[in-house]
Amino acid sequence: MNHKHIACGVIALLILALVQTTLWVQNHRTKVQNEAGAAQAEEDAAGAQLARERNQLANLRRQSTDLIEFLQIWQPYFTTIDSPQSAEIAMQMRVKDADLLNLKQRYESIPIKNSASIPSTLRALLTFEDDYSKLLNWLGKLETSMPTIRTTSVRLSKGTRANDLRMEVVLDQPMLKDQPALKK
Amino acid sequence: MQITDRHIDDFKSDRKGITPPLPMVLRLVPILFYGSIAIAVILSSLFFLQFRLAIQKRDGHKAQASALNAERDESKTQRTALEAQIKRATDIQNWVESSRPLQPLVVEIARSMAQKSSIADLQLERMPDDPSQIRLGIKIGTDSTKQLDLTMEKIALLDYRAFSPTREFGRGELDYKAILVRRSSKQAAEEQPPTAP
Repeated sequence: MNHKHIACGVIALLILALVQTTLWVQNHRTKVQNEAGAAQAEEDAAGAQLARERNQLANLRRQSTDLIEFLQIWQPYFTTIDSPQSAEIAMQMRVKDADLLNLKQRYESIPIKNSASIPSTLRALLTFEDDYSKLLNWLGKLETSMPTIRTTSVRLSKGTRANDLRMEVVLDQPMLKDQPALKK
Repeated sequence: MQITDRHIDDFKSDRKGITPPLPMVLRLVPILFYGSIAIAVILSSLFFLQFRLAIQKRDGHKAQASALNAERDESKTQRTALEAQIKRATDIQNWVESSRPLQPLVVEIARSMAQKSSIADLQLERMPDDPSQIRLGIKIGTDSTKQLDLTMEKIALLDYRAFSPTREFGRGELDYKAILVRRSSKQAAEEQPPTAP
């Protein structure tokens, strides 16, 4: 082997190096092109998920329009009385204002099952003995002025005096769980 | 001393070829070398351009996917909040529907009493499992069962129907028990809301 052969060998090696470099660049290009393809697939999937999510949201909004409107109307009535103490005071004031003969009154907090938004109520157990019209007017006014109150039980029987009625009434005032303000 | 050119030529010995010339095939090596340089430069440039373009596309798609995912998450958050509101609205609606005032019912029952009849005991109690249903228990001092028909007519006018009725009549007293269920023709949501709180 003479120096010309060696020179040829060196040049052949250089050619191989050039081919390798070109292949290396090509491999990198292919790799990044594959990554771009995967990123495009990811974008398409994200787009499809977004469209599905928006669709679900729009459907839910459409289906719940009446319910949300109902909530916007009624929620202020529920939030007016926000603690058992304020409920108790509100009821006591109404009893006092009516000037009824109140034989017994008891207040207790009652938990409610299967209602996450209204976890408890303040229960008032009241016993009156008074005139028929005074008693029923008071009950009617109470149910109107406190529209969220539930008359759970009412019992009317004869009172100790001739014209009097005995009314035992159980009232429940719901205690709404705190939640963020409504979004329109 | 001067030496003429001719004499110098005379001193130079004949140069012998140390190495034989390359075969014809190996003479193509330089041509291949230059050719490969040209092809490598062209292809590498092309691949490099495609590489840069692919990087731009990949980054663009990734950024777009991230933006779409962020929008999806925002939409999901809104849906979760709306679902919570719907749950709250449903709970409130259930409460309102099962808390209709009892006073009108009591008044109508009392007004339905004829002259010779009187209420000895009246009890209206909501069922614990379903508060929209009301257990009615009434003892009427009367000499006829017609009074009960009259009372039930008045109750029906308030959109209540009686289920599982039981009645006992004796010694001038009628004992009647039933479960009152409101006809759900009108939902609470459709009804007029109360005056402002």
